[in-house]
Amino acid sequence: MTSAGRREDASARSGPAAAPTMRAGSTYGAIDVTKSFDDVTVLHEVSVQFQPGEVHSVVGENGAGKSTLLKLMAGVYHPDSGSLMLGGETLGPLSPRDAQRRGIYLVPQEPRLMPDLSVAENLYLGALARRRFGTVAWRVMNEATGGMISSVGLRVDPRTQAGRLSLAQQQLLECARALSRGCGIIFFDEPTSPLTAHDAEKLFGLMDQLRGQGLTLGFISHRLDEVQEISDRITVLRDGAVVAREERGTATRDELVQAMIGRKLSVTRRAEPGRAPATGVLMLDVADLRIPPQVNGMSVQVRAGEIVGLAGLVGSGRTEFAETLFGLRLPAGGTVKVAGRDVTGFSPRKCIDAGLAYLAEDRGRSGIFADVDIARNESSAILARLPRRLGVFIRPRREQELARDAAQRMDVRASSISSAIKTLSGGNQQKALLARWMLAKPRVAVLDEPTRGVDIGAKESIYQIIESMAGEGLAVLVISSEMEDLIRVCDRVYAVYEGRITGELGGSDITLEAIGHLVVSAS
Amino acid sequence: MTTLAMPRRWQLPGWGLCLLLALIGELTYFTITTRYFAANGVPGILVLAEQFAPTGVLALGMAMVILTGSIDLSAGATASLTAIVCGLGLEKGYNMWLCILAALLAGTLVGLANGLLVALAGIDSLLVTLATQFIVTSVLTSLAGAEPPFNFSVTFQGLGQGAIADVPDDVLVFLVLGVATILIVNYTTLGRSIVLVGFSQRAAQYTGVATRRTLASVFTMNGAFAGVAGVLLAAYYNSAQPDTGTILLLPAITIVVLGGVDIFGGRGRIGEVIIAGFLLGYLSQGMLIEGNSSLTITMVTGLVLIGALVLKISLERNFRQALAVRLQRLRTWHPSLSRPD
Repeated sequence: MTSAGRREDASARSGPAAAPTMRAGSTYGAIDVTKSFDDVTVLHEVSVQFQPGEVHSVVGENGAGKSTLLKLMAGVYHPDSGSLMLGGETLGPLSPRDAQRRGIYLVPQEPRLMPDLSVAENLYLGALARRRFGTVAWRVMNEATGGMISSVGLRVDPRTQAGRLSLAQQQLLECARALSRGCGIIFFDEPTSPLTAHDAEKLFGLMDQLRGQGLTLGFISHRLDEVQEISDRITVLRDGAVVAREERGTATRDELVQAMIGRKLSVTRRAEPGRAPATGVLMLDVADLRIPPQVNGMSVQVRAGEIVGLAGLVGSGRTEFAETLFGLRLPAGGTVKVAGRDVTGFSPRKCIDAGLAYLAEDRGRSGIFADVDIARNESSAILARLPRRLGVFIRPRREQELARDAAQRMDVRASSISSAIKTLSGGNQQKALLARWMLAKPRVAVLDEPTRGVDIGAKESIYQIIESMAGEGLAVLVISSEMEDLIRVCDRVYAVYEGRITGELGGSDITLEAIGHLVVSAS
Repeated sequence: MTTLAMPRRWQLPGWGLCLLLALIGELTYFTITTRYFAANGVPGILVLAEQFAPTGVLALGMAMVILTGSIDLSAGATASLTAIVCGLGLEKGYNMWLCILAALLAGTLVGLANGLLVALAGIDSLLVTLATQFIVTSVLTSLAGAEPPFNFSVTFQGLGQGAIADVPDDVLVFLVLGVATILIVNYTTLGRSIVLVGFSQRAAQYTGVATRRTLASVFTMNGAFAGVAGVLLAAYYNSAQPDTGTILLLPAITIVVLGGVDIFGGRGRIGEVIIAGFLLGYLSQGMLIEGNSSLTITMVTGLVLIGALVLKISLERNFRQALAVRLQRLRTWHPSLSRPD
């Protein structure tokens, strides 16, 4: 480590190039790779070739093995069998470091930047530019960074803290990092799922430019329209095997969907025109909630049996609003009533006991206990209500049975209730979390981005779960930046912009255009 | 609708089995090689455990703290403090049980202070307990004065040196507290909260676990356990020295990590910590009887810990595969590859 580090310093001392030196990509392929975790085969004899000057997309449902494939190719995992071929050479076991040295870079779903370091420091991480006595050449570095990041379309001061960049900007910085290290093969693991349409457009512009320079690009996404727009080649994975290979323009969207899920999809709208407005009991009543600067007086009402949407862009204050309802933040003003009871300022524990459930937006960090089994993940919200012996000691077997029944109702697919939840696909993790909240027997469920990072098939079953929740008399508030979600399930939609409700739509008024218009401007 | 398999009712705790085998091997080894080790049969071997039972009690409390992903550096000093509180009381001629109660109360209060600082002020436990450790040490040193209390009543000494059905009292206390800790961690709301907070404090908060109350409780319990350890130490040595518990802090942490508790929290079994306590305790007792210096023993303890942790990691990963990858990487490593472009 130290010797390698010194070498890096030495090379950096000669001064970085003002613009990234592009290295053309080479052909990089996986041949018959198989990978299992525990007993679950995630990839089964998958072969795929990434060519220079092409964008090659890998699509498939969650759990189909897309991310695993890219991670395998970037050295994060090692194949159980099969091999990796880089420009005609068979690679031995690869670490992420080896992969980068050979010009292979994986831009992860969540950017891996050091939030407290500057943009320039992140770009030069491990290879800071030095002056003669080993002091850091800040000016040289910042200037060179400016050139490099603007070539990927990122226009910020190189001294900005990376943590202050938006997600989209962080991804561009990751790209710049790949380029500055001379990587000619760049993989993107679902880069667009947290991005707005505009930011995604920007990223595609960059990918297009890199393709023109002869780089080898791999891309994963759930959004088929963008896949079709950008890809030269599409490989469809299902259950860890390649089920289709397409080239630009050879497959329609419907054909791709069918290949991915093995069946046709029918999109239906829940709120038929003319459907009577819900008349159930008022279950969630939020009046003038304020936590400046994110939430500036939001009033929301949800009745029993009703599914209400909260549409808003990232940063519009919708998550802060939900976290305040659930007692994770203290409101500066306003009241929250659940089933008529004032729960303003209650702790999450008391909110749950009062009948409120909150499916957190950030599933990986705030939702799941990654290393814990499914059973204990589900029971974590109702510890005090678990079956006991002598009124004191939890009965693990009964707990597991409870969790198993709930998981089966939600159609969680796993080998055992004692599997660690991190071994499940995103959709199944989300279903297990919905099972957690249904075990709490809530009266109001607030679901924050319930379909984020979830594939089309699982999305549909999550919609059905949401509908059945409302059918059982729950008041459901769905927060989403995916307009399709809201159109699909909601009876009524509130639009949020800068912490204010800017409009309310019902029935047949819930259209893409109407919501889209409301969430981008306070009219 | 899918069907989900239920786990087997009993699962073999792999690491616990390893520790148990090591313990049996160790006892056999000392019995064969060292004449005095098993000279008095099983009761004799049990009596040897008296010496390290207080360390074991400290380790139990510490295990719960470490399970939450925290650490308590003040537990040893707290044990010293409680030994001295108890000793001073006895010296002044107060009722023995009153003295013990006062000692336990002192320990609990220190633990509560730690807990409140960690939970409410949100300061990292390492820093909080580093600070309280200094404060407790200075308080107990001034309490002890120039001549620390010693030579207590025979009944009190009996606590540290007596036995019930051949099981020495303090070993019995260790075992009873051990069972209690197992029950708390595995079968109560508090125990489950401890584990969940250890795996992810953030996720615990979002799922309604009372994270702050859990942290405060764990530190308070650890303080009480340190109190018990302090009383046992005073009774066993028939004196209360200012460093009597302090020097046991690192051995206690060693037992916890050897017992397989993840130092970052979440993972770990109390049963395995108890076995690790006996394993390490008998290691030093056996080596002492063999005639080794305490320096040798300390070094062997360090080596055993490293060896055990390497073995544990290897058992958890697919050992052979990991080794193969590493060897392959070593063989294919070429200096030119490690230079960035």
